[in-house]
Amino acid sequence: MKQAGRWLLLAAPLALIPQVAHAQKKKPPNTGAAPAAAAASPPPVSADADADQPAAAGAPAASPDSAPPPPPGDTSAGAPAGAGGVDICQITPDAPQCQVAKEVNMATEAQKPIHAEIYAVQQQYVLKAQRLEIMPYFAVTMNDQFVSHNAPGLALNYYVTQVLAVGVNGNWYDGLNADSDFNFQNRRAARIAVPLNIYQFSGDLNFTYVPMYGKFAGFGDFIFHYDAYIDGGLGVIRTKPEPVIDPDNRKFDWNTLVNFDVGIGLRIFFTRWLAAVVEVRDLMYFDKIEAITIAPGASTLPATNPQSPLNPATWYDPNTHFTNDVQLQVGLSFFLPTSFEYRLPK
Amino acid sequence: MKRRFVSAILASLCAVGLLASSRVAHAQEIQLTGPLKGAPAVRHLRLYRQGRLELAPSVSFTLLDEYRRTILAGGQLNYNLLDWLAIGVWGAAGVVSTTTNLADEINTFSPRDPLTADNINHSASPSGNTPGTNPSFNDQTAKISYVVAPQLTFTPFRGKLAIFNKIFVDTDFYIAGGVGFVGLQERGDCGATGQLACSDPKSFALTSTTKIAPTFGVGLKFYPAGFWSLGVEYRALPFAWNRSGFDERGSGPGNNFPDQKISSDDETFQFNQLVTISLGFYFPFQPKLTD
Repeated sequence: MKQAGRWLLLAAPLALIPQVAHAQKKKPPNTGAAPAAAAASPPPVSADADADQPAAAGAPAASPDSAPPPPPGDTSAGAPAGAGGVDICQITPDAPQCQVAKEVNMATEAQKPIHAEIYAVQQQYVLKAQRLEIMPYFAVTMNDQFVSHNAPGLALNYYVTQVLAVGVNGNWYDGLNADSDFNFQNRRAARIAVPLNIYQFSGDLNFTYVPMYGKFAGFGDFIFHYDAYIDGGLGVIRTKPEPVIDPDNRKFDWNTLVNFDVGIGLRIFFTRWLAAVVEVRDLMYFDKIEAITIAPGASTLPATNPQSPLNPATWYDPNTHFTNDVQLQVGLSFFLPTSFEYRLPK
Repeated sequence: MKRRFVSAILASLCAVGLLASSRVAHAQEIQLTGPLKGAPAVRHLRLYRQGRLELAPSVSFTLLDEYRRTILAGGQLNYNLLDWLAIGVWGAAGVVSTTTNLADEINTFSPRDPLTADNINHSASPSGNTPGTNPSFNDQTAKISYVVAPQLTFTPFRGKLAIFNKIFVDTDFYIAGGVGFVGLQERGDCGATGQLACSDPKSFALTSTTKIAPTFGVGLKFYPAGFWSLGVEYRALPFAWNRSGFDERGSGPGNNFPDQKISSDDETFQFNQLVTISLGFYFPFQPKLTD
């Protein structure tokens, strides 16, 4: 037990080390000697800085050294922040109480030019230009009641501009195709079989356009940002019929088909590099389906015989069928690099 | 040696306990002393809903239908008790009803014979199959006649949307929930004692019935002006019904086999879904503004 005392002595200072995280705005760096050139041409502003924080350079208010002195006789404006307070004149030197001594001539003020164009969202929460988006997701079939084609997927998009991206995405379906109970019930009741196709994978080259963005206030308490996009492209999808009409004789191989896809999605940002994504996408292609008639010959005929049900040439419907595979995709979106810089301060 | 080891373990546990007990994060609030002190997050906020009556004609489209699609015309009447809470009713009547490709395929290709006599309407003889004389399968598929749903609407999110950096509209996201009373035209019961045999062509006639089901939806409302809005809503209306008029269940293990009767056993659960587009008008016309 003598050794225990030493261990406790070691633990005591560790416990006394301050482990309290104060969520306090960063002190602006001392830029008292900020060159005039920097003020004339404001440098990019890091998005990691607090949006409400004045710019570190080029914004005089950010520097305690450059903050205007309190007006004579005014004890409230520019007063040192006591008891946890913050000097409003250091944050916004233009605040009225920081300029009490200054006479405001309303006629003169009214003559000043006005910037009539004010953006509804002054500074977009996330800049996407020249960033890579990595988007893992899971796709669920929305429009096929007979067999579902659920799939995990991955999309990679590079944003050439703030609103335009080029990218690829791929889904892997094999092993997750599922014949529905509805399909069986329908076959049994109506004595009619519906040809089924299953998928292996699909991959597309896409262009994404982001025409809409905005923000929501939730419960009047917090704000989150979102944008909406449309995308489209072309690629390949591999499908094959699941034998329903003559399962004893028909064994299909995968067919590689060209597909077109269009989608519309919504991205809700948690941070400037992480978002949740919901998208509805339609993969359109001409599918090869199983023939609903069986070759009339006996199965003992050689497979090369046109009358043989073993002849693969008789297995497919002679016409291709335009197919829409509408998917609901839910996933996450990661933007790299994780930080970016605004051209101008807020 | 063993004693020292036990002592060391006990001391380590004490240290870990002390360290763990002191991990508290304090978020310090900035005390503003300027004109923003005590100011609301948004000044002159337009209260589009609070204290206003909303009348919104709407058109609804059913989704993912198996045999029959329905377009419903109707509307919503809401009174907004608060800016985030409204009480009201959504009602709509089926005005257009069309069949799906599957229904058409069944009508065209399904054999009319004794094996399907209970499930697909046929000519006078259950075993007869006279092309061109059989009643349409489409006539036996169920239809939605109307829906009436008293509901509460909760609007947790409000914001704005920029389109092409040119068009800016105030936008709300809402969740609605209530109880739906759904009027249906569904194949009537048959096959039980005192009822028509299910192979009788007359047994395929539709009868009226009402289902009670939960309903909930999510939607967006866009406010191009203070007195009207454009809404898009997704709504679910889950309940069990016999959409095809087939005898699918009622006997055998788990009641999963046909029993030559049409009854409630043949109703299957369906997560009925609709998309609704609405045009809302608000009374009084001018929304109030906050300070």
